[in-house]
Amino acid sequence: MYNTRTCLAAVIAATGLAAALPTQAANWLMLQGTEPAGAAERARVWGFIQPEFQYTEGTKLEAGPFSGQDAIFNTIGPDRDASSQFNIRRARIGLRGQGFPLDSNTNYFFLVEAGNNGITKPGGGLGSLKLTDASVTFNHFDAARVRVGQFKTPGSEEGLKAIHVFDYVNFTSVTDGVLLERYIDADGSAPNDPNGPNGPVGAFRDIGIQLFQTFRRDDWEHSYAVMVGNGNGLARSDNNNEKDIYLYLSTEKIFGGKGARRQGWKGFVWYQEGDRTLTLAQGTDSTADDVEQDFERKRWGVGTTYLNGKYRAAAEYIVADGMIRNGSDGGAVVGALANNGLSRASLNVLPEDEADGWYLDFGYKIRPNIELDVRYDRFNRATDTDPAERRFDTLTLGAQYFFNKKTRFIFNYEFREAEAPNLPSSHPANQILDGMDDRISAQILAIF
Amino acid sequence: MISKLPWHLRLWAALLLGLLSTGALAAGNPDKPFAEKHVVLQISDPDPFKQTLVLNVAGNLIKHYGPDKVDVEIVAFGPGLRLLLAENDNSDRIDNLVNSAQVRFSACENTLAKYTQNLGHEPALNAHATHVSAGVVRIIDLIDQGYTLIKP
Repeated sequence: MYNTRTCLAAVIAATGLAAALPTQAANWLMLQGTEPAGAAERARVWGFIQPEFQYTEGTKLEAGPFSGQDAIFNTIGPDRDASSQFNIRRARIGLRGQGFPLDSNTNYFFLVEAGNNGITKPGGGLGSLKLTDASVTFNHFDAARVRVGQFKTPGSEEGLKAIHVFDYVNFTSVTDGVLLERYIDADGSAPNDPNGPNGPVGAFRDIGIQLFQTFRRDDWEHSYAVMVGNGNGLARSDNNNEKDIYLYLSTEKIFGGKGARRQGWKGFVWYQEGDRTLTLAQGTDSTADDVEQDFERKRWGVGTTYLNGKYRAAAEYIVADGMIRNGSDGGAVVGALANNGLSRASLNVLPEDEADGWYLDFGYKIRPNIELDVRYDRFNRATDTDPAERRFDTLTLGAQYFFNKKTRFIFNYEFREAEAPNLPSSHPANQILDGMDDRISAQILAIF
Repeated sequence: MISKLPWHLRLWAALLLGLLSTGALAAGNPDKPFAEKHVVLQISDPDPFKQTLVLNVAGNLIKHYGPDKVDVEIVAFGPGLRLLLAENDNSDRIDNLVNSAQVRFSACENTLAKYTQNLGHEPALNAHATHVSAGVVRIIDLIDQGYTLIKP
């Protein structure tokens, strides 16, 4: 038996499939939304810090109206001023527990963000402390727990999992492109409006109410979640009367362990639907002609995660219909002035287009404190409009070194490619995308 | 059908299947993939000194081999189940062994049923205790998996 394992491990290693171990197969609904009944502290302070360094070669745009200027995909967020930088990616502190001594069936979760990212500095704007999570869960009923407030929405594994056990520095292209939502006022078609974000990135969170529960039978665990939320991002009120719906189902064979590193094999499906309101310019010189219009935003996905001993695997397929973020004009940094001085690069969205993507992720722990990772992801953007369609492929090689259970070092090298598959290779769009650099990132994660 | 899939998708699917197959063959505690020693400790004695002793032995094993290199499970049945009652004086030590070295604790359901019958209610167990249908059967199963039985 051990020989078989050794041989297979050797084959996998020989094919270059070295990877990591941490998370996967955990029940995020329960880990983030509940506390052990009667056993949790009244208030437990916790948080984490992520200092990091990211680097690209900083290749400039090679064609189009912004030729010679910075390419947005070769700059580092949130400011997009440099192609290499040190940054405090995240710095979060919070409280969680059963803060109501009269009722151990009620718990809370509170977390704020002080790092430098799209939550605190959307579009490179002014920084500020932001509330990311503030929820109360009522555990009084067997059939359904009730969670109310601002928290992660039930959905994609990459978004739902706790970020402090995320195995990579950056999200996959498809998750970043269609799930990590940027809230904007218009579609970006107005020539002199940068159309930058009007608030923090969604961070896979919403404000609303969720019913959820987990049912355990022997080694199997089945979970569901149904949520209704504003669909308008973090720490602010709604901007329309339409509410977002979130649905989630998962089933998991549990091998052992507990918490965020529980061993098991999980399958899951999820669906999200809501409306987004955009102000569309009807004329070129008068805002009086602008009209507000609602567009449907749908997302769904299916996936699996697996963690058993030294081995880890995950795969997910994600589909998006409506509100497809479509990059920036000419690939320039948002707000950049075109070379002819007549327009500024804006953040664009295709309100009625489609997209899809998938990722495969493997991990292998070569020693108790070292794991190696490999991930491949594909993002097909704007698949309903041939000239606008873009394809992004990223192969990420990673390594993690665990100083201890709560402190680790993550190193990633991303081989990045992009193309406009329906346009000739000589087209400016493909000349621009040919300039997409690989990206190197190194990050320390310290949980307290 | 499969031949129509892109080559890289086929490659990754094959690797995924390989990983899953490999994992399915894995033996022992998946929480301890690097463990070289697998030990089951039996506690079936009512003597509080024996309760302390079995925890000491677990601690000494971890100290000697290191938390990643040894996989320890303590199985409590009969009068020994008292070690895993929620109000047992050793609960802090149990917390420490679980959190620092992922030692597992198994509680015999047959014994628990007897306690419940005698007390008129089910006693509260330590939150780290995992229910097993019969302590002695659990020990036999672990021995079959290659564990070494020690009864301090």
